[in-house]
Amino acid sequence: MISKEELEHLAQISRINLTDHELQKFPTQLEKTIEYIDILEQLASDDSVTLDLQELKFEELRKDEIKVSDEKQLCKNITEDGFLRGPKMK
Amino acid sequence: MTRLDELLAYEVVEGLTEGQFTAEDYVTTILKRIEKVEPKVHSFITLDTDGALSSAKIIDKKLKEKEAIGQLAGVIVGIKDNISTQGIRTTCASKILENYVPTYDATVIKSLKESGAILLGKLNLDEFGMGSTTEYSRYQPTRNPWNLDCVPGGSSGGSGAAVAAGECTIALGSDTGGSIRCPSSFCSVIGLKPTYGRVSRYGLISYANSLEQIGPICRSVRDLVIMLNIISGKDTFDNTSMPSNPISIPKRLNKLNVGIIKELITGSDQEVTKSVYFASEKFKEIGCPCEEVSIKNLHYALPSYYTLASAEASSNLARYDNLRYGFDYSIGEYKWDTYFSNVRENFGEEVKRRILIGSYVLSSGYYGKYYLKARRLRSLLRLELLELFKKYDLLIGPTMPILPFKFGEKIDDPIKMYLVDINTVIANLAGIPAISLPIGFSNGLPIGLQLMAAPFGEQKLIDASYELEKIINIPRRPNSI
Repeated sequence: MISKEELEHLAQISRINLTDHELQKFPTQLEKTIEYIDILEQLASDDSVTLDLQELKFEELRKDEIKVSDEKQLCKNITEDGFLRGPKMK
Repeated sequence: MTRLDELLAYEVVEGLTEGQFTAEDYVTTILKRIEKVEPKVHSFITLDTDGALSSAKIIDKKLKEKEAIGQLAGVIVGIKDNISTQGIRTTCASKILENYVPTYDATVIKSLKESGAILLGKLNLDEFGMGSTTEYSRYQPTRNPWNLDCVPGGSSGGSGAAVAAGECTIALGSDTGGSIRCPSSFCSVIGLKPTYGRVSRYGLISYANSLEQIGPICRSVRDLVIMLNIISGKDTFDNTSMPSNPISIPKRLNKLNVGIIKELITGSDQEVTKSVYFASEKFKEIGCPCEEVSIKNLHYALPSYYTLASAEASSNLARYDNLRYGFDYSIGEYKWDTYFSNVRENFGEEVKRRILIGSYVLSSGYYGKYYLKARRLRSLLRLELLELFKKYDLLIGPTMPILPFKFGEKIDDPIKMYLVDINTVIANLAGIPAISLPIGFSNGLPIGLQLMAAPFGEQKLIDASYELEKIINIPRRPNSI
Protein backbone atom coordinates (compact mmCIF):
# COMPACT_ATOMS: atom_id res chain seq x y z
CA MET A 1 0.00 0.00 0.00
CA ILE A 2 1.28 3.46 -0.83
CA SER A 3 1.35 5.34 2.44
CA LYS A 4 -0.15 8.78 2.89
CA GLU A 5 3.38 10.14 3.42
CA GLU A 6 4.62 8.56 0.18
CA LEU A 7 1.70 10.02 -1.71
CA GLU A 8 2.30 13.45 -0.22
CA HIS A 9 5.97 13.22 -1.18
CA LEU A 10 5.10 12.27 -4.78
CA ALA A 11 2.62 15.14 -4.91
CA GLN A 12 5.22 17.53 -3.54
CA ILE A 13 7.92 16.60 -6.07
CA SER A 14 5.31 16.79 -8.84
CA ARG A 15 4.17 20.23 -7.58
CA ILE A 16 0.55 19.18 -7.36
CA ASN A 17 -1.86 19.80 -4.52
CA LEU A 18 -4.30 16.97 -3.99
CA THR A 19 -7.86 17.46 -2.81
CA ASP A 20 -9.08 15.61 0.31
CA HIS A 21 -11.07 13.31 -1.95
CA GLU A 22 -7.96 12.46 -3.99
CA LEU A 23 -5.85 11.96 -0.85
CA GLN A 24 -8.38 9.38 0.18
CA LYS A 25 -8.82 7.42 -3.02
CA PHE A 26 -5.41 7.74 -4.74
CA PRO A 27 -3.39 5.42 -2.43
CA THR A 28 -5.45 2.36 -3.40
CA GLN A 29 -5.70 3.34 -7.07
CA LEU A 30 -1.98 4.05 -7.43
CA GLU A 31 -1.12 0.88 -5.52
CA LYS A 32 -3.19 -1.16 -7.97
CA THR A 33 -1.43 0.48 -10.92
CA ILE A 34 1.99 -0.20 -9.42
CA GLU A 35 1.03 -3.81 -8.72
CA TYR A 36 0.02 -4.08 -12.36
CA ILE A 37 3.31 -2.73 -13.72
CA ASP A 38 5.24 -4.93 -11.25
CA ILE A 39 4.98 -7.70 -13.86
CA LEU A 40 7.92 -5.95 -15.56
CA GLU A 41 10.11 -7.41 -12.83
CA GLN A 42 9.71 -10.81 -14.43
CA LEU A 43 11.34 -9.53 -17.58
CA ALA A 44 14.90 -10.82 -17.59
CA SER A 45 17.32 -7.97 -17.05
CA ASP A 46 19.25 -8.37 -20.28
CA ASP A 47 21.54 -5.36 -20.47
CA SER A 48 22.60 -6.29 -23.98
CA VAL A 49 19.22 -5.18 -25.33
CA THR A 50 19.57 -1.77 -26.83
CA LEU A 51 17.27 0.92 -25.48
CA ASP A 52 17.07 3.10 -28.56
CA LEU A 53 16.26 1.54 -31.87
CA GLN A 54 15.85 4.80 -33.73
CA GLU A 55 18.90 6.98 -33.60
CA LEU A 56 19.11 10.59 -34.57
CA LYS A 57 22.41 11.67 -36.09
CA PHE A 58 23.97 14.99 -35.19
CA GLU A 59 24.25 15.95 -38.88
CA GLU A 60 20.48 15.62 -39.19
CA LEU A 61 19.79 18.42 -36.72
CA ARG A 62 18.73 21.70 -38.23
CA LYS A 63 21.14 24.60 -38.17
CA ASP A 64 21.06 26.77 -35.08
CA GLU A 65 20.05 29.97 -36.80
CA ILE A 66 18.41 33.03 -35.32
CA LYS A 67 15.10 33.95 -36.88
CA VAL A 68 13.25 37.10 -36.00
CA SER A 69 9.84 36.46 -34.48
CA ASP A 70 6.91 38.75 -34.04
CA GLU A 71 7.41 39.69 -30.41
CA LYS A 72 3.86 40.91 -29.97
CA GLN A 73 2.46 37.60 -31.23
CA LEU A 74 4.85 35.55 -29.11
CA CYS A 75 4.05 37.37 -25.90
CA LYS A 76 0.30 37.36 -26.37
CA ASN A 77 -0.32 34.70 -23.75
CA ILE A 78 2.29 35.57 -21.21
CA THR A 79 2.95 39.16 -20.41
CA GLU A 80 1.61 42.03 -18.45
CA ASP A 81 2.97 45.30 -19.86
CA GLY A 82 5.78 43.43 -21.60
CA PHE A 83 6.90 41.54 -18.49
CA LEU A 84 6.52 37.92 -17.47
CA ARG A 85 5.19 37.99 -13.94
CA GLY A 86 5.94 35.21 -11.46
CA PRO A 87 5.30 34.56 -7.77
CA LYS A 88 7.75 35.69 -5.08
CA MET A 89 10.77 33.46 -4.54
CA LYS A 90 10.54 33.70 -0.74
CA MET B 1 -28.63 11.99 -54.79
CA THR B 2 -26.55 11.77 -51.61
CA ARG B 3 -27.35 14.51 -49.13
CA LEU B 4 -24.74 17.24 -48.97
CA ASP B 5 -23.88 16.47 -45.35
CA GLU B 6 -23.20 12.83 -46.19
CA LEU B 7 -20.58 13.49 -48.85
CA LEU B 8 -17.09 12.06 -48.50
CA ALA B 9 -14.11 14.41 -48.80
CA TYR B 10 -13.24 13.54 -52.40
CA GLU B 11 -16.91 13.90 -53.38
CA VAL B 12 -16.96 17.39 -51.87
CA VAL B 13 -13.97 18.42 -53.98
CA GLU B 14 -15.56 16.88 -57.11
CA GLY B 15 -18.91 18.57 -56.42
CA LEU B 16 -17.29 21.96 -55.97
CA THR B 17 -15.11 21.63 -59.05
CA GLU B 18 -18.09 20.60 -61.16
CA GLY B 19 -20.10 23.52 -59.79
CA GLN B 20 -22.84 21.34 -58.23
CA PHE B 21 -22.75 23.48 -55.09
CA THR B 22 -20.60 26.18 -53.52
CA ALA B 23 -18.26 25.87 -50.56
CA GLU B 24 -20.54 28.25 -48.70
CA ASP B 25 -23.54 25.94 -49.37
CA TYR B 26 -21.56 23.04 -48.00
CA VAL B 27 -20.40 24.84 -44.85
CA THR B 28 -23.93 26.08 -44.20
CA THR B 29 -25.29 22.53 -44.55
CA ILE B 30 -22.74 21.15 -42.11
CA LEU B 31 -23.46 23.97 -39.65
CA LYS B 32 -27.16 23.01 -39.79
CA ARG B 33 -26.21 19.40 -39.15
CA ILE B 34 -24.14 20.53 -36.15
CA GLU B 35 -27.04 22.57 -34.83
CA LYS B 36 -29.16 19.44 -34.94
CA VAL B 37 -26.81 16.81 -33.52
CA GLU B 38 -24.29 18.68 -31.38
CA PRO B 39 -26.64 19.11 -28.39
CA LYS B 40 -26.79 15.30 -28.21
CA VAL B 41 -23.23 14.35 -29.19
CA HIS B 42 -21.00 17.16 -27.77
CA SER B 43 -18.07 16.62 -30.15
CA PHE B 44 -16.76 20.18 -30.18
CA ILE B 45 -15.03 22.29 -27.55
CA THR B 46 -14.68 25.35 -29.79
CA LEU B 47 -16.45 26.15 -33.06
CA ASP B 48 -15.00 28.71 -35.49
CA THR B 49 -18.11 29.36 -37.57
CA ASP B 50 -16.98 32.76 -38.87
CA GLY B 51 -13.56 31.44 -39.82
CA ALA B 52 -15.12 28.51 -41.70
CA LEU B 53 -17.54 30.73 -43.61
CA SER B 54 -14.85 33.18 -44.65
CA SER B 55 -12.57 30.32 -45.79
CA ALA B 56 -15.50 29.01 -47.86
CA LYS B 57 -15.95 32.40 -49.51
CA ILE B 58 -12.27 32.47 -50.49
CA ILE B 59 -12.61 29.05 -52.14
CA ASP B 60 -15.79 30.09 -53.97
CA LYS B 61 -14.01 33.19 -55.26
CA LYS B 62 -11.09 31.08 -56.50
CA LEU B 63 -13.50 28.70 -58.25
CA LYS B 64 -15.35 31.59 -59.86
CA GLU B 65 -12.12 33.08 -61.13
CA LYS B 66 -10.98 29.65 -62.33
CA GLU B 67 -7.95 29.65 -60.05
CA ALA B 68 -6.38 26.38 -58.92
CA ILE B 69 -7.80 24.92 -55.71
CA GLY B 70 -6.15 22.48 -53.32
CA GLN B 71 -6.74 18.75 -52.91
CA LEU B 72 -8.99 19.27 -49.91
CA ALA B 73 -10.62 22.51 -51.07
CA GLY B 74 -13.92 23.00 -49.29
CA VAL B 75 -13.55 19.88 -47.17
CA ILE B 76 -14.48 20.51 -43.55
CA VAL B 77 -11.91 19.28 -41.09
CA GLY B 78 -12.33 19.00 -37.32
CA ILE B 79 -9.17 19.19 -35.24
CA LYS B 80 -8.50 17.43 -31.96
CA ASP B 81 -8.06 20.15 -29.37
CA ASN B 82 -4.47 19.21 -28.51
CA ILE B 83 -3.19 20.36 -31.93
CA SER B 84 -2.13 24.02 -32.03
CA THR B 85 -4.19 26.35 -34.20
CA GLN B 86 -3.08 29.95 -34.54
CA GLY B 87 -5.68 32.32 -33.13
CA ILE B 88 -8.06 29.53 -32.09
CA ARG B 89 -8.15 28.49 -28.44
CA THR B 90 -6.46 25.13 -27.83
CA THR B 91 -7.43 23.68 -24.47
CA CYS B 92 -6.36 19.99 -24.45
CA ALA B 93 -9.76 19.65 -22.72
CA SER B 94 -8.00 20.93 -19.61
CA LYS B 95 -8.85 23.68 -17.18
CA ILE B 96 -5.12 24.46 -17.14
CA LEU B 97 -5.19 25.64 -20.79
CA GLU B 98 -8.68 27.12 -20.70
CA ASN B 99 -7.55 30.49 -22.10
CA TYR B 100 -4.60 29.39 -24.22
CA VAL B 101 -4.60 30.74 -27.77
CA PRO B 102 -1.60 29.45 -29.77
CA THR B 103 0.41 32.00 -31.69
CA TYR B 104 1.36 29.50 -34.40
CA ASP B 105 -0.11 26.63 -36.41
CA ALA B 106 1.05 23.04 -36.01
CA THR B 107 2.77 21.81 -39.19
CA VAL B 108 -0.22 19.55 -40.00
CA ILE B 109 -2.55 22.55 -39.73
CA LYS B 110 -0.35 24.58 -42.07
CA SER B 111 -0.43 21.71 -44.58
CA LEU B 112 -4.21 21.36 -44.31
CA LYS B 113 -4.73 25.09 -44.85
CA GLU B 114 -2.46 25.02 -47.91
CA SER B 115 -4.56 22.18 -49.32
CA GLY B 116 -7.70 24.34 -49.08
CA ALA B 117 -9.28 22.49 -46.14
CA ILE B 118 -11.74 24.46 -44.04
CA LEU B 119 -11.05 24.29 -40.31
CA LEU B 120 -14.34 24.29 -38.49
CA GLY B 121 -13.31 23.87 -34.88
CA LYS B 122 -11.64 22.00 -32.09
CA LEU B 123 -12.79 18.58 -30.98
CA ASN B 124 -13.17 17.06 -27.56
CA LEU B 125 -10.73 14.61 -25.96
CA ASP B 126 -9.77 13.19 -22.61
CA GLU B 127 -7.69 15.81 -20.81
CA PHE B 128 -4.24 15.95 -22.51
CA GLY B 129 -5.15 12.75 -24.38
CA MET B 130 -5.16 10.63 -21.22
CA GLY B 131 -8.14 8.32 -21.38
CA SER B 132 -10.21 6.02 -23.56
CA THR B 133 -13.72 7.49 -23.27
CA THR B 134 -13.64 11.36 -23.20
CA GLU B 135 -15.07 11.10 -19.69
CA TYR B 136 -11.84 12.74 -18.50
CA SER B 137 -12.50 15.87 -20.55
CA ARG B 138 -12.80 18.88 -18.23
CA TYR B 139 -15.67 20.18 -20.34
CA GLN B 140 -18.22 17.45 -20.95
CA PRO B 141 -18.01 13.92 -22.29
CA THR B 142 -18.73 13.25 -25.97
CA ARG B 143 -21.48 10.71 -26.66
CA ASN B 144 -21.35 7.85 -29.13
CA PRO B 145 -23.52 8.74 -32.16
CA TRP B 146 -24.49 5.05 -32.54
CA ASN B 147 -25.78 4.85 -28.99
CA LEU B 148 -25.88 8.01 -26.94
CA ASP B 149 -25.67 6.06 -23.65
CA CYS B 150 -22.26 4.70 -24.64
CA VAL B 151 -18.79 6.24 -24.71
CA PRO B 152 -17.36 7.16 -28.13
CA GLY B 153 -13.91 5.88 -27.17
CA GLY B 154 -10.91 8.10 -26.65
CA SER B 155 -8.94 9.97 -26.33
CA SER B 156 -9.85 11.42 -29.78
CA GLY B 157 -13.53 10.77 -28.98
CA GLY B 158 -14.67 14.14 -30.33
CA SER B 159 -12.94 13.40 -33.64
CA GLY B 160 -14.46 9.92 -33.98
CA ALA B 161 -17.95 11.05 -33.02
CA ALA B 162 -17.91 14.19 -35.19
CA VAL B 163 -16.94 12.24 -38.31
CA ALA B 164 -19.51 9.50 -37.61
CA ALA B 165 -22.25 12.04 -36.90
CA GLY B 166 -21.49 14.07 -40.04
CA GLU B 167 -20.41 17.18 -38.15
CA CYS B 168 -17.27 17.41 -40.29
CA THR B 169 -16.04 15.63 -43.41
CA ILE B 170 -12.85 14.35 -41.84
CA ALA B 171 -10.92 14.92 -38.64
CA LEU B 172 -7.46 14.86 -37.17
CA GLY B 173 -6.76 12.91 -34.03
CA SER B 174 -3.62 11.95 -32.16
CA ASP B 175 -2.67 8.49 -30.98
CA THR B 176 -0.38 7.81 -28.01
CA GLY B 177 -1.66 4.36 -27.05
CA GLY B 178 -4.70 3.92 -29.31
CA SER B 179 -6.35 7.33 -29.15
CA ILE B 180 -7.20 7.40 -32.88
CA ARG B 181 -8.03 3.73 -33.30
CA CYS B 182 -10.18 3.31 -30.18
CA PRO B 183 -12.76 6.00 -31.11
CA SER B 184 -12.59 4.91 -34.76
CA SER B 185 -13.57 1.41 -33.68
CA PHE B 186 -16.29 2.57 -31.25
CA CYS B 187 -17.77 5.06 -33.76
CA SER B 188 -17.48 2.87 -36.88
CA VAL B 189 -15.12 5.13 -38.82
CA ILE B 190 -11.63 4.59 -40.23
CA GLY B 191 -8.63 5.83 -38.27
CA LEU B 192 -4.92 5.51 -38.87
CA LYS B 193 -1.99 5.84 -36.52
CA PRO B 194 0.93 6.45 -38.87
CA THR B 195 4.46 5.08 -38.45
CA TYR B 196 6.32 7.08 -35.81
CA GLY B 197 8.02 9.83 -37.81
CA ARG B 198 5.74 9.89 -40.86
CA VAL B 199 3.80 12.91 -39.63
CA SER B 200 5.33 15.94 -37.92
CA ARG B 201 4.42 16.38 -34.26
CA TYR B 202 5.34 20.07 -34.30
CA GLY B 203 2.43 21.85 -32.64
CA LEU B 204 0.95 18.70 -31.11
CA ILE B 205 0.83 19.41 -27.39
CA SER B 206 3.00 16.68 -25.92
CA TYR B 207 1.77 13.99 -23.59
CA ALA B 208 4.23 11.13 -24.33
CA ASN B 209 6.22 12.27 -27.32
CA SER B 210 8.16 9.06 -27.99
CA LEU B 211 4.87 7.25 -28.59
CA GLU B 212 2.48 9.68 -30.27
CA GLN B 213 1.55 10.53 -33.83
CA ILE B 214 -1.12 12.70 -35.43
CA GLY B 215 -3.37 10.84 -37.87
CA PRO B 216 -6.58 11.05 -39.91
CA ILE B 217 -10.08 9.84 -39.02
CA CYS B 218 -12.37 9.47 -42.04
CA ARG B 219 -15.42 7.72 -43.48
CA SER B 220 -13.65 6.19 -46.48
CA VAL B 221 -10.23 4.76 -47.27
CA ARG B 222 -9.91 7.11 -50.24
CA ASP B 223 -10.33 10.15 -47.98
CA LEU B 224 -7.79 8.72 -45.58
CA VAL B 225 -5.20 8.40 -48.34
CA ILE B 226 -5.66 12.02 -49.45
CA MET B 227 -5.43 13.30 -45.90
CA LEU B 228 -2.41 11.14 -44.99
CA ASN B 229 -0.43 12.31 -48.02
CA ILE B 230 -1.12 15.93 -47.14
CA ILE B 231 0.08 15.69 -43.54
CA SER B 232 3.07 13.34 -44.11
CA GLY B 233 6.66 14.43 -44.60
CA LYS B 234 9.92 15.57 -43.11
CA ASP B 235 9.59 18.75 -41.07
CA THR B 236 12.60 20.74 -39.89
CA PHE B 237 10.67 21.58 -36.72
CA ASP B 238 10.35 17.92 -35.70
CA ASN B 239 13.61 16.02 -35.86
CA THR B 240 11.89 12.68 -35.41
CA SER B 241 9.95 13.21 -38.65
CA MET B 242 11.14 11.45 -41.77
CA PRO B 243 10.52 11.62 -45.51
CA SER B 244 8.14 8.96 -46.84
CA ASN B 245 6.70 7.81 -50.14
CA PRO B 246 3.18 8.97 -50.99
CA ILE B 247 0.41 6.40 -50.58
CA SER B 248 -1.95 5.56 -53.43
CA ILE B 249 -5.26 3.81 -53.95
CA PRO B 250 -4.38 0.33 -55.25
CA LYS B 251 -5.35 -0.65 -58.80
CA ARG B 252 -5.42 -4.30 -57.82
CA LEU B 253 -4.54 -6.21 -54.68
CA ASN B 254 -1.39 -8.29 -54.58
CA LYS B 255 -1.43 -11.32 -52.31
CA LEU B 256 -0.74 -10.38 -48.69
CA ASN B 257 0.15 -12.83 -45.93
CA VAL B 258 -1.91 -12.14 -42.84
CA GLY B 259 -1.14 -13.16 -39.27
CA ILE B 260 -3.98 -13.16 -36.73
CA ILE B 261 -2.57 -12.36 -33.31
CA LYS B 262 -3.77 -15.21 -31.10
CA GLU B 263 -3.39 -13.38 -27.79
CA LEU B 264 -5.63 -10.54 -28.98
CA ILE B 265 -8.40 -12.94 -29.91
CA THR B 266 -8.41 -14.94 -26.71
CA GLY B 267 -8.72 -11.86 -24.52
CA SER B 268 -11.69 -10.39 -26.39
CA ASP B 269 -15.47 -10.47 -26.07
CA GLN B 270 -17.12 -13.26 -28.02
CA GLU B 271 -18.88 -10.90 -30.43
CA VAL B 272 -15.63 -9.12 -31.17
CA THR B 273 -13.79 -12.40 -31.76
CA LYS B 274 -16.50 -13.52 -34.17
CA SER B 275 -16.01 -10.38 -36.23
CA VAL B 276 -12.28 -10.98 -36.51
CA TYR B 277 -12.89 -14.49 -37.82
CA PHE B 278 -15.43 -13.02 -40.24
CA ALA B 279 -12.68 -10.64 -41.41
CA SER B 280 -10.24 -13.50 -41.85
CA GLU B 281 -12.80 -15.21 -44.13
CA LYS B 282 -13.02 -11.99 -46.14
CA PHE B 283 -9.23 -11.86 -46.40
CA LYS B 284 -9.27 -15.36 -47.83
CA GLU B 285 -11.95 -14.25 -50.33
CA ILE B 286 -9.62 -11.57 -51.64
CA GLY B 287 -6.78 -14.05 -51.96
CA CYS B 288 -4.87 -13.32 -48.75
CA PRO B 289 -4.05 -16.38 -46.62
CA CYS B 290 -4.48 -16.03 -42.84
CA GLU B 291 -2.97 -17.99 -40.00
CA GLU B 292 -2.67 -17.51 -36.27
CA VAL B 293 0.55 -16.14 -34.81
CA SER B 294 1.75 -15.50 -31.30
CA ILE B 295 3.63 -12.51 -29.86
CA LYS B 296 5.82 -13.72 -27.02
CA ASN B 297 6.33 -10.38 -25.28
CA LEU B 298 2.75 -9.20 -25.57
CA HIS B 299 1.75 -9.51 -21.91
CA TYR B 300 4.46 -7.01 -20.98
CA ALA B 301 3.23 -4.43 -23.48
CA LEU B 302 0.53 -2.67 -21.47
CA PRO B 303 2.53 -2.31 -18.21
CA SER B 304 5.46 -1.01 -20.26
CA TYR B 305 3.22 1.42 -22.05
CA TYR B 306 1.78 2.86 -18.86
CA THR B 307 5.26 3.13 -17.33
CA LEU B 308 6.70 5.00 -20.30
CA ALA B 309 3.65 7.15 -21.01
CA SER B 310 3.34 8.23 -17.37
CA ALA B 311 7.07 8.94 -17.10
CA GLU B 312 6.97 11.13 -20.20
CA ALA B 313 3.74 12.80 -19.06
CA SER B 314 5.20 13.76 -15.68
CA SER B 315 8.07 15.45 -17.48
CA ASN B 316 6.06 17.02 -20.33
CA LEU B 317 3.36 18.42 -18.08
CA ALA B 318 5.89 20.01 -15.74
CA ARG B 319 5.72 23.07 -18.02
CA TYR B 320 2.23 24.02 -16.85
CA ASP B 321 3.17 26.61 -14.26
CA ASN B 322 0.51 29.10 -15.40
CA LEU B 323 3.13 31.76 -16.13
CA ARG B 324 3.75 31.28 -19.81
CA TYR B 325 0.30 29.98 -20.69
CA GLY B 326 -2.64 29.00 -18.65
CA PHE B 327 -5.88 30.12 -17.14
CA ASP B 328 -7.10 32.84 -14.87
CA TYR B 329 -5.40 32.23 -11.52
CA SER B 330 -4.01 35.28 -9.82
CA ILE B 331 -0.47 35.22 -8.47
CA GLY B 332 -1.66 37.30 -5.53
CA GLU B 333 0.58 36.92 -2.50
CA TYR B 334 1.45 33.28 -3.18
CA LYS B 335 5.03 32.11 -2.68
CA TRP B 336 6.94 30.38 -5.48
CA ASP B 337 6.24 26.74 -4.45
CA THR B 338 2.73 27.21 -3.15
CA TYR B 339 1.62 28.99 -6.30
CA PHE B 340 2.62 26.18 -8.68
CA SER B 341 1.15 23.43 -6.52
CA ASN B 342 -2.08 25.39 -6.15
CA VAL B 343 -2.35 26.08 -9.87
CA ARG B 344 -1.64 22.47 -10.75
CA GLU B 345 -4.35 21.27 -8.39
CA ASN B 346 -6.56 22.14 -11.37
CA PHE B 347 -5.41 19.18 -13.42
CA GLY B 348 -8.08 16.49 -13.58
CA GLU B 349 -7.82 13.29 -11.54
CA GLU B 350 -6.52 11.07 -14.33
CA VAL B 351 -3.82 13.54 -15.31
CA LYS B 352 -2.74 13.80 -11.67
CA ARG B 353 -2.65 10.01 -11.31
CA ARG B 354 -0.41 9.69 -14.37
CA ILE B 355 1.91 12.49 -13.29
CA LEU B 356 2.26 10.85 -9.85
CA ILE B 357 2.92 7.41 -11.32
CA GLY B 358 5.43 9.02 -13.68
CA SER B 359 7.23 10.66 -10.78
CA TYR B 360 7.20 7.31 -8.98
CA VAL B 361 8.71 5.23 -11.80
CA LEU B 362 11.38 7.85 -12.42
CA SER B 363 12.42 8.12 -8.75
CA SER B 364 15.81 6.76 -7.80
CA GLY B 365 15.37 3.19 -6.64
CA TYR B 366 12.51 2.55 -9.03
CA TYR B 367 14.03 3.83 -12.26
CA GLY B 368 15.81 0.56 -13.01
CA LYS B 369 12.90 -1.56 -11.80
CA TYR B 370 10.27 0.05 -13.99
CA TYR B 371 11.43 2.67 -16.47
CA LEU B 372 14.51 0.93 -17.85
CA LYS B 373 12.72 -2.42 -18.00
CA ALA B 374 9.87 -0.82 -19.89
CA ARG B 375 12.27 0.66 -22.41
CA ARG B 376 14.00 -2.66 -22.80
CA LEU B 377 10.67 -4.40 -23.40
CA ARG B 378 9.89 -1.81 -26.01
CA SER B 379 13.02 -2.73 -27.99
CA LEU B 380 12.34 -6.45 -27.60
CA LEU B 381 8.76 -6.04 -28.81
CA ARG B 382 9.84 -4.04 -31.83
CA LEU B 383 12.49 -6.60 -32.75
CA GLU B 384 9.99 -9.44 -32.34
CA LEU B 385 7.47 -7.67 -34.57
CA LEU B 386 10.07 -6.84 -37.23
CA GLU B 387 10.91 -10.53 -37.31
CA LEU B 388 7.21 -11.41 -37.78
CA PHE B 389 6.89 -8.87 -40.58
CA LYS B 390 9.51 -10.80 -42.54
CA LYS B 391 6.89 -13.53 -42.88
CA TYR B 392 3.62 -11.62 -42.69
CA ASP B 393 2.61 -8.45 -44.51
CA LEU B 394 -0.09 -7.66 -41.97
CA LEU B 395 -0.85 -8.58 -38.39
CA ILE B 396 -4.50 -8.31 -37.45
CA GLY B 397 -6.76 -8.50 -34.42
CA PRO B 398 -9.65 -6.61 -32.89
CA THR B 399 -8.96 -2.90 -32.37
CA MET B 400 -10.77 -3.00 -29.04
CA PRO B 401 -11.26 -6.15 -26.97
CA ILE B 402 -14.77 -5.06 -26.00
CA LEU B 403 -17.81 -3.25 -27.42
CA PRO B 404 -18.47 0.43 -26.63
CA PHE B 405 -19.58 0.54 -22.99
CA LYS B 406 -21.83 2.73 -20.88
CA PHE B 407 -20.70 5.98 -19.26
CA GLY B 408 -19.37 5.58 -15.72
CA GLU B 409 -18.72 1.85 -16.13
CA LYS B 410 -14.95 2.04 -15.67
CA ILE B 411 -14.31 5.56 -14.49
CA ASP B 412 -13.50 4.67 -10.87
CA ASP B 413 -11.17 1.81 -11.67
CA PRO B 414 -8.06 3.02 -13.52
CA ILE B 415 -6.78 -0.51 -14.21
CA LYS B 416 -10.07 -1.56 -15.82
CA MET B 417 -9.86 1.56 -17.97
CA TYR B 418 -6.21 0.94 -18.92
CA LEU B 419 -6.96 -2.65 -19.95
CA VAL B 420 -9.12 -1.52 -22.89
CA ASP B 421 -5.91 -0.23 -24.55
CA ILE B 422 -4.26 -3.63 -24.50
CA ASN B 423 -4.54 -4.22 -28.29
CA THR B 424 -3.58 -0.79 -29.45
CA VAL B 425 -0.46 0.10 -27.41
CA ILE B 426 1.62 -2.46 -29.35
CA ALA B 427 1.83 -0.22 -32.41
CA ASN B 428 2.86 2.83 -30.36
CA LEU B 429 5.57 0.97 -28.47
CA ALA B 430 6.96 -0.49 -31.71
CA GLY B 431 6.48 2.70 -33.74
CA ILE B 432 4.62 0.80 -36.48
CA PRO B 433 1.53 1.94 -38.45
CA ALA B 434 -1.91 0.60 -37.53
CA ILE B 435 -5.39 1.21 -38.90
CA SER B 436 -8.84 0.54 -37.47
CA LEU B 437 -11.46 -0.43 -40.01
CA PRO B 438 -15.20 -0.92 -39.32
CA ILE B 439 -15.92 -4.62 -39.56
CA GLY B 440 -19.39 -5.14 -38.12
CA PHE B 441 -21.94 -4.45 -35.40
CA SER B 442 -23.27 -6.28 -32.38
CA ASN B 443 -26.56 -5.06 -30.91
CA GLY B 444 -26.13 -1.83 -32.83
CA LEU B 445 -22.64 -1.23 -31.42
CA PRO B 446 -19.67 -0.94 -33.80
CA ILE B 447 -16.70 -3.32 -33.95
CA GLY B 448 -13.35 -2.42 -35.50
CA LEU B 449 -10.62 -4.54 -37.03
CA GLN B 450 -7.03 -3.50 -36.43
CA LEU B 451 -4.39 -4.05 -39.10
CA MET B 452 -0.71 -3.46 -38.39
CA ALA B 453 2.24 -3.37 -40.78
CA ALA B 454 6.01 -2.92 -40.68
CA PRO B 455 7.40 0.62 -40.24
CA PHE B 456 6.37 2.80 -43.22
CA GLY B 457 4.18 -0.06 -44.47
CA GLU B 458 1.07 2.16 -44.70
CA GLN B 459 0.60 1.22 -48.36
CA LYS B 460 -0.11 -2.40 -47.37
CA LEU B 461 -2.63 -1.25 -44.75
CA ILE B 462 -4.37 0.84 -47.41
CA ASP B 463 -4.27 -1.94 -50.04
CA ALA B 464 -6.03 -4.37 -47.71
CA SER B 465 -8.42 -1.81 -46.19
CA TYR B 466 -9.53 -0.57 -49.61
CA GLU B 467 -10.40 -4.11 -50.74
CA LEU B 468 -12.16 -5.01 -47.48
CA GLU B 469 -14.12 -1.73 -47.52
CA LYS B 470 -15.45 -2.70 -50.97
CA ILE B 471 -16.75 -6.10 -49.91
CA ILE B 472 -17.89 -5.42 -46.34
CA ASN B 473 -21.02 -3.35 -46.36
CA ILE B 474 -21.14 -1.26 -43.19
CA PRO B 475 -23.80 1.40 -42.55
CA ARG B 476 -22.03 4.75 -42.51
CA ARG B 477 -24.47 6.98 -40.69
CA PRO B 478 -26.20 6.24 -37.38
CA ASN B 479 -29.98 6.52 -37.51
CA SER B 480 -30.38 7.38 -33.86
CA ILE B 481 -29.45 11.06 -34.27
